Amino acid sequence: MGSPDRNRYNPDILNPSSPRTEKLSYRSTGGHPVGMAPRLRTESQRVKEYQALATSNGKKKKADSTRAARASKRPSDSKTRRVPNTAPANGKRRRVTAEAMAAKQRDISVGEFFAKNRHLLGFDNPRKALLTSVKEAVDNSLDACEEAGIVPEVWVRIEQTAPARFRVSIQDNGPGIMKKQIPLIFGKLLYGSKFHRLRMSRGQQGIGISAAGMYGMLTTGRPIKIVSKLSVRRPTHYYELQIDTKKNKPEILNGRGEGVDIPPGKAGRAYMQRHRIEWVGHYDAEEGDEPTEVRSGTRVTIEMEARYQRGRGSVDEYLEQTAIANPHVTLHYTDPEGTEHIYPRSTTDLPAEPKEIKPHPYGVELGRLVTMLKEGKTVTITQFLTSAFSRVSPAVARRICQTASVSTRASTRRIGREEADSLYQAIQVTKIKPPATDCVSPIGEDLLLQGLYRVVPGEFYCATTRPPAVYRGNPFQIEVALAYGGNSVVQKVTLDLLTELLSESDARTLRQFLIMTFDGLGVDAADRILKEAKLGTRQSPSKLPHDAIKTMHHAMRNVNISEGQSMQVLRYANRVPLQFKQRDCAITESVMKTNWRSYGLSQTRGSLPSGPISIMVHVASVWVPFTSESKEAIAAYPEIQRELRLGLQAVGRKLGMYLRRRKRVKQESDRRNIFLRYLGEVATAVSALNGTDRDALYAQLLAVAKRKTTEADARFDQRGQRIQEGSEDYGDNVLIVDQQPEDLLADKLANDDAQKKLF
Amino acid sequence: MAKKVRRKKVPPKHPASSVKLSMTDKKTLAALRSVADDLTRTAQRGRAPHIRIPSRSLGNVRYNKAKRFIEMGSGTNRRELFNLAQAKSYMQTILVGSGCKKLIEQGKTTSIRGLFYLLKHTIEGTKEETFDQQSDCDPIIEDVEVALNAMREELHLYAKNAGSMVGPISLVDSGDEIDCSRMGSGGYNIPSIVEPNVVQFKECDAQFILHVEKDTVWRRFNEDKFWKQYQCILTHGGGQPPRGVRRMLNRLHNELKLPIYCLLDNDPWGYYIYSVIKQGSINLAYESKLMAIPKARYIGLRSKDYERCQLSPSVRIDLKQTDVKRAKQIAQYPWFETKKAWQKEIALMLKNGFKLEVEALISKDISYVTEVYVPERLEDRDFLD
Repeated sequence: MGSPDRNRYNPDILNPSSPRTEKLSYRSTGGHPVGMAPRLRTESQRVKEYQALATSNGKKKKADSTRAARASKRPSDSKTRRVPNTAPANGKRRRVTAEAMAAKQRDISVGEFFAKNRHLLGFDNPRKALLTSVKEAVDNSLDACEEAGIVPEVWVRIEQTAPARFRVSIQDNGPGIMKKQIPLIFGKLLYGSKFHRLRMSRGQQGIGISAAGMYGMLTTGRPIKIVSKLSVRRPTHYYELQIDTKKNKPEILNGRGEGVDIPPGKAGRAYMQRHRIEWVGHYDAEEGDEPTEVRSGTRVTIEMEARYQRGRGSVDEYLEQTAIANPHVTLHYTDPEGTEHIYPRSTTDLPAEPKEIKPHPYGVELGRLVTMLKEGKTVTITQFLTSAFSRVSPAVARRICQTASVSTRASTRRIGREEADSLYQAIQVTKIKPPATDCVSPIGEDLLLQGLYRVVPGEFYCATTRPPAVYRGNPFQIEVALAYGGNSVVQKVTLDLLTELLSESDARTLRQFLIMTFDGLGVDAADRILKEAKLGTRQSPSKLPHDAIKTMHHAMRNVNISEGQSMQVLRYANRVPLQFKQRDCAITESVMKTNWRSYGLSQTRGSLPSGPISIMVHVASVWVPFTSESKEAIAAYPEIQRELRLGLQAVGRKLGMYLRRRKRVKQESDRRNIFLRYLGEVATAVSALNGTDRDALYAQLLAVAKRKTTEADARFDQRGQRIQEGSEDYGDNVLIVDQQPEDLLADKLANDDAQKKLF
Repeated sequence: MAKKVRRKKVPPKHPASSVKLSMTDKKTLAALRSVADDLTRTAQRGRAPHIRIPSRSLGNVRYNKAKRFIEMGSGTNRRELFNLAQAKSYMQTILVGSGCKKLIEQGKTTSIRGLFYLLKHTIEGTKEETFDQQSDCDPIIEDVEVALNAMREELHLYAKNAGSMVGPISLVDSGDEIDCSRMGSGGYNIPSIVEPNVVQFKECDAQFILHVEKDTVWRRFNEDKFWKQYQCILTHGGGQPPRGVRRMLNRLHNELKLPIYCLLDNDPWGYYIYSVIKQGSINLAYESKLMAIPKARYIGLRSKDYERCQLSPSVRIDLKQTDVKRAKQIAQYPWFETKKAWQKEIALMLKNGFKLEVEALISKDISYVTEVYVPERLEDRDFLD
């Protein structure tokens, strides 16, 4: 029951709108006989095994067999001793009566449940809590903006208020939230708009931001603060909320439990300043222009126990990756040191609005079908099938009814368990068109390329968007983009930043520090760096003397890590970066299962390929199947795996073409170089022999060399036609950077503000 | 750097007037020039230049049964400039040619090691050397020799001296008269160039030539004054005899009509030394007519000597895998193939499973080889042909 997976697929259980299911009905299994049964079995099995062992060992000694006989008595003893409930007739006293137990059995509040199990929501440790809070808030902001058709702009600010305590505030320029809804959205778990519909969005459960608020409240006792502005003229709402975890209800702390309305205009601004309510009032303006006012939006501020750390799985990384997948968003980020990072948008086109769809019959389980039948307002079964599901025409409905031997005009209210079951079976065998797939809005190959190019330096980029597909009746779409080459972050890092990273790190050893901090750096590469720097792999990173940091920095810049470097996998689900549980994710699994060797990369079987390569995989779906509520990994449905594989192979093929071509060009130039190297010598020697003009002879030989090398490299296709070099067709959406990676990096550093700091 | 220095020196295209060129020098220079001209013409026509070099492999040598020495066949290899595998050796070949031209024009000779150092420099704009080590250079020099059909001496090159001579003979070497019977314990060091313009024979009382493999044995013979007692010329070649020694033996044999007897180790290496003296080497087959001595005879050591001389078992050296392989190879050379005695000899060695060095005879007695072994063989005329 507590398993979140079940909740996801049978959403009615957690339907918060119906009072019956407001609280999770959760019965203790403490003394339940059913709970004991498996244990008993194992116990007796163990005894049997022991017996078998004892007899086999004791063939020679009789004493052993008696011991075995004694042992065989044991299970009956333990049965009576340990499980009095199952054998009440043996006269021993019960420990607890059913009545006494009943007194303890009661509802468990959602709030309490998640307060105890906060790791399920991604609040396992202070560091992750900070990230999860930012992530939930930013995701909500982006969803709201896109739904309202506003080009999103998000401000994230993290401030340290005390040691191990941070204030996180996130503001958007979305439509704002109606006054009445604010307390519910932020102060009640499992309340939201996205759960009941099948529509592609970042948030799904309606649990994240309120859980963040609850976490803040539990760890610091400070309320969650919300500012919501609906328009220029209407008043701004200001709330300070707490969650009553027992009742899963919001408590409003300010304005005598009513919240505060701040009037629009000057008076409001003065009020906000007086009460220190933070609000970004204007967009950044071009120099000389009048800044535009932020007309609407929401700002949420949570104070919590947290830890700020850069590197893998950090807020910085999350925002950077968000910027890649959301090129229409401008992100402003002020880190705890007060440095502002801006990720400007590269397009003002909002992604196509995803459509909401009805469920597809294939994706519905029996229980859900029964509930839908009960709730249905329609009269006949045909009407029900055609109206409640997508892709069910009257003809299809008739076929389903025929297969199930149910009258097409039967009333939905009369359908019993058995008929429902046969209907369910009939649906499975009836051929129904797959759901419409236009409800998924992919990022698009162009924007994928742009996004990746902006953040990952490289020489070759390609992207592919797979056609939509369906798993369990849910449409989904896979997009894959790939960047190859370029320097890794390890080589970009400055000495100051490295010093800082080292002092912040909680890694126990230097090797661990390197692997944890720098994405795509494998154990091999880390070891090579440390060997070059003559540092011990197990040395502690925090107490490294300055000289040692210097040599390590030098080593990081000079060691060729591109071989030991493993592929960096950027995972996205509905445009949200996934940063944890990489190993459990279907995406990583598919990447590792793909044979990258045939595309010119080196790879040990069953692991990530190595090389300076980053791959970005986006799974867009109306319902992304996460493996847990903290939304960190995607479940491996065969349909999803198949599409992932095809997508990866598509970019792999393009990369393979590029790498082969590059290899060929390199070979060609190597050949030419070998000739050129000796031509000078030959010309000099010949002119010494017969007195010819050295330079003229050299020029003649050079001409021959050039002709020779192109001639030798002419290749022929299967039909014997000469293939023109350089005219290879990579297909659409491939970007090849002809610059030297160093130049590219320099360009990027000069142009891109966001790149001034690592990550 | 080396290159620049060299280039500065090169410009005087016409040799300094003080150097007088001999006829052979002029011929060699013309050959060198024609190779260069060939290249220039090809380049002018926009073609890829190449040099034809007679092949110096076993496949391109022929055993001339009538003349009884190895001759070079007509097979040639193309060495192309625009071939990845040959580009460097092409460059080296031309370089060696230019180095030889310089030597000839300045009227100087140098060792092949000297030429290696003369030509070795870093290729401009790279970290690559024209020649990494002398072993890169030596085969190229041989290529140039065969390509130009010129002897090494004609290119003003010489191999390192290895080999001594002692005996009742006097000769003139570069104008100095040398009496080989008064050479002390070291003997006359056979120079690498012994052409008639350098070395002329004066008087000779010797009846035959005894060629031994190495210095140790040669010293034994010299100390025991074997050559005085038996009126012979005693030579050694320090293992595989260098060209100078072979040419000297050839001239002594042909001009003074002296028979040659070889005392070599009983192992594949010793057999091949004998083969080289008698038939000429596969590698330098083009010079066989000046080097080979078809009438040379092999005195020992023989495979049967272990029993015949009752040697102690500790002097045996076990045959290695490579020895066995090489022995079988030698047995199949056409000039050994038809000789039953040799086939038997090799078969016996393989059967014994060990080899014997001439020094092994010392285990019997220090002077056993000079006082018993060789005199007995000469007496019995027990030779292998």
